[in-house]
Amino acid sequence: MRIFIIHTLRFVLFLFAQALLFNQLEIGFGIQAMIYPLFILLLPYNINIFLSMLIAFALGFGIDSISNTYGLHASSAVLLAYLRPMIFKTFEPRDGYEDTQEMNFYEMPTSWLLSVFGLMLLIHHFWFFTLELFKFNEIGFILQKTILSVPVSLIVCILIQIVFIRKPSNK
Amino acid sequence: MRNLIAFFKRFRVFLVFAVLQGLALSTYFTYLNFPRAQYLTSASIVNGEILTIKNDVTKHFNLSYNNYKLQKENIALRKRLPQSFIPVQSNIFKIDDTLYHQQYEYIAATVINSTFDKRNNYFTLNIGSSQGIKRGMGVFSDKGIVGVIHNVSEHYSVVKSVLTEAINIDVMIESSGAFGLLKWDGANPKIGSISGISNDMKMKRWSKIVTRGGSGIFPRGLNVGIVSSFKPVEAKPLWDISFYYSEDYRKIQRVYVVKNLLKYEQKELEAQIPPDTEE
Repeated sequence: MRIFIIHTLRFVLFLFAQALLFNQLEIGFGIQAMIYPLFILLLPYNINIFLSMLIAFALGFGIDSISNTYGLHASSAVLLAYLRPMIFKTFEPRDGYEDTQEMNFYEMPTSWLLSVFGLMLLIHHFWFFTLELFKFNEIGFILQKTILSVPVSLIVCILIQIVFIRKPSNK
Repeated sequence: MRNLIAFFKRFRVFLVFAVLQGLALSTYFTYLNFPRAQYLTSASIVNGEILTIKNDVTKHFNLSYNNYKLQKENIALRKRLPQSFIPVQSNIFKIDDTLYHQQYEYIAATVINSTFDKRNNYFTLNIGSSQGIKRGMGVFSDKGIVGVIHNVSEHYSVVKSVLTEAINIDVMIESSGAFGLLKWDGANPKIGSISGISNDMKMKRWSKIVTRGGSGIFPRGLNVGIVSSFKPVEAKPLWDISFYYSEDYRKIQRVYVVKNLLKYEQKELEAQIPPDTEE
């Protein structure tokens, strides 16, 4: 029950933060900071994949409807939720995820977080910008946007975790 | 049958994924072409309300600059009031002259949501069909054109801005009268391009670009920008012209919507042009 409330609250916060704050930040060079992939990363490890895809779809849809992107965010978020278990499996540490509560900055090793979340962001951003531009001869611009946006999103997401997620007291 | 069920069981995750993906992508591509999905846009009531609250907070950030702009525009308009003219020759000029028939009316609006770094940028305005806004009306600001109304709800409307790929507003070079279509390449919100001007026309840098007013969306002669560079298109007798927009779309707030009272008449007349027979 507690987990349910936490994630509902997070859903609302991420939706509005992305749509009203981060989509309005216009940094230049085609950079766009996206934080809602972090929400999908932070969903419970053993969540049903149907549920996680539905949640991701709803989140993307909400962001789309506020920022007039008509299905772009929804499509990328669903893709991310679909690939999430496979990526986790590929990068599984030796002990597995047995005693992990949440895939956050404090519970997982930094190298794991950087590689897994970096890969997730890379896939997500590439999919998003490809759909947004949707022209083969603009592949250079797509790559530029992806490569420049991923580090920005990654840094912002790690900062969000440092600021907002409470450090477990036993560590 | 059993095989089919086994197949569905095996691939059920992927199937759900495909269904959701299909739903999202079909909305995306449908909307790019036909603005039908009213419920999913910022012109809908709920999202309009959210954006209005957001704009209530952010509109003050540029307040002094906006006031300055409005003041300058007021001065320019005040200059044209009949009170600021001295009659040089009386009984020639009458304000309520029947020789002049009003063609354009303007409706003031505020941009409550806008982007400029997407491939296709749409602006949301705080007025809608209850204020008489219809699809296809032109939108401009005091410095330059902004776009065309794309989608309308009761109290909000969405503008397809000049920062979209296929905006195709007809514009012309003011000095020479050469006209072409306005396009945007998606890279820089300060720079647009014009296609369709043949390269035997003489071009000059820094010449002014204005609207042509051919399709009845904008009145003739609204500012668009100034030519920054031009080069010939390969293998075509055309110029590839880039120009600086005169409006800075990154901080646009106050705009006007053009209502053409004679548009219907023009469209009706132009509909009588016989179509080209392709045989």
